[in-house]
Amino acid sequence: MHQQRKSFALTAASVAAGVLTICCSVSLWSAPAPQQGITAAAEAAPQRETVGPASPPVLPEANPTRKPTGAPPPPAPVLPPPGKIPVRPARAAAEPPPVPPVSLDIPNTGISVNVVDVGVDKNDAMEIPNSFWEAGWYRYGPAPGSKAGNAVIAAHVDSQTEVLPFAQLRAVEPGTVITVGLADGRSLRYEVTEVKNVPKATLNGSEVFRRDGPAQLKIITCGGKWLPEKGDYEDNVVLTALPL
Amino acid sequence: MRRSLYTVGTVLVMGAAAMAGPASAAETQSQASLSVLHAVPDLTVDVYVNGALTLDDFTPGTLAGPLPLPAGNYQLAVTAADAPDASAPVIGPVDVTLEAGGNYTATANLDAAGNPTANFYTNDVSPVEAGKARLTVRHVAAAPAVDVLAGGAPIVPNLSNPGEASLSTAPGTVSAAVAAAGTTEPVIGPADLNLAEGTSTIVYAWGSLEGGNLALATQVIEGLQSTPGAVPGGQSGLAAQSAENNDGAVLGLGLGALLLALLGGAAVAGRRRTARA
Repeated sequence: MHQQRKSFALTAASVAAGVLTICCSVSLWSAPAPQQGITAAAEAAPQRETVGPASPPVLPEANPTRKPTGAPPPPAPVLPPPGKIPVRPARAAAEPPPVPPVSLDIPNTGISVNVVDVGVDKNDAMEIPNSFWEAGWYRYGPAPGSKAGNAVIAAHVDSQTEVLPFAQLRAVEPGTVITVGLADGRSLRYEVTEVKNVPKATLNGSEVFRRDGPAQLKIITCGGKWLPEKGDYEDNVVLTALPL
Repeated sequence: MRRSLYTVGTVLVMGAAAMAGPASAAETQSQASLSVLHAVPDLTVDVYVNGALTLDDFTPGTLAGPLPLPAGNYQLAVTAADAPDASAPVIGPVDVTLEAGGNYTATANLDAAGNPTANFYTNDVSPVEAGKARLTVRHVAAAPAVDVLAGGAPIVPNLSNPGEASLSTAPGTVSAAVAAAGTTEPVIGPADLNLAEGTSTIVYAWGSLEGGNLALATQVIEGLQSTPGAVPGGQSGLAAQSAENNDGAVLGLGLGALLLALLGGAAVAGRRRTARA
């Protein structure tokens, strides 16, 4: 009896050690990543919130470090000739807003949801709709159908009481054809190229929310381990699809 | 184990991206960006940079640039449109320093008393907080101090030529107007102003109150957006519990086992002590 318990304890200890080793390697390797990840991008934006007159701009005449009058300015061979510099009326030309997406369907999953416009919440995170049968489209980025950049749609993987359809996102096979419905009645089709888990600590926001470059659809939810101490999942599940 | 290998892969890829970054960044960093706003009413001009004709027949209310220039010192001069060279400027010459990575707007405008002058502004091109727009207002008009109003309420009070003020605001369309300081009766506008997320919109009040030609000019700097800090897609962990081969479940088992091992070890030690005694 004692023998049995002892050997079980030994096995259990080595299992635990193995698990801990894996955990360590994860945290070690992901430690430097946030500097290049989404957190860094957000922190790199110290925002001036000044309201009211700022100090007047430094006029060139008031600049004590400039050369005495008469000193020849350095040659500037790089100046383009007149007519090559863009000149336009100083008016803001507002681009018409894009047609927003209103629905998302992924075959062979339970993912058939309405899509609503979302922005940024007070914690600087992407807003996710609270209605569990809706997904959110990041309205400040490109819309599905835009010529460039990533259209980002995200939804919850679970609620307080149940597992939601987006739990099946991780199992979507490359080659699956996704349909996105637009507010003007058009339907856009995308082919899945990749579904992967990305640790949240290393999620590269400037790549996911890219506003230029090739047009892609990114569908995001949560996945991986649940981290009770953070009240959050370890990973984001990121699906990438290309327009057909 | 698959997880840890995957994470290593991510770090390596990101490392490669970081290596690739600096070359292009260095090139960009040695450059400055210069725009020129013509805000003197009823006067078509030429603009010379370092004595070379750069903007020909530049008309009021137009914005030239942005022109990428190597960082350094430059001399700007504004002449009559038919001037043969920069020797008899109507404004300037003024010497300006363009810092590497800096973004600037030079304005030809009227001072508060109505005399042609030049101003040189440094544009704030730091990232705009995700979900926000930056609005900067500059007073380059022959007019006393003004209040800038949005939706009828002052957002920038008591701004004098050539002062500027900047604020971060929710993106969208605002009804902008300019009134004499302390009043709400518009001398310019109201006009709809579209403030796009992740951009800096710079609005110039220009012209002359006496001349009855006060107006707004707008310059937009795009591409200053930040990305949301996270995509919080889960709430309870239920999806993890239901997933097969879930790592969280293994971890739970591991911790439980570790606890058992410690308890087991303590029990054995306790018994030995008892035996000795």
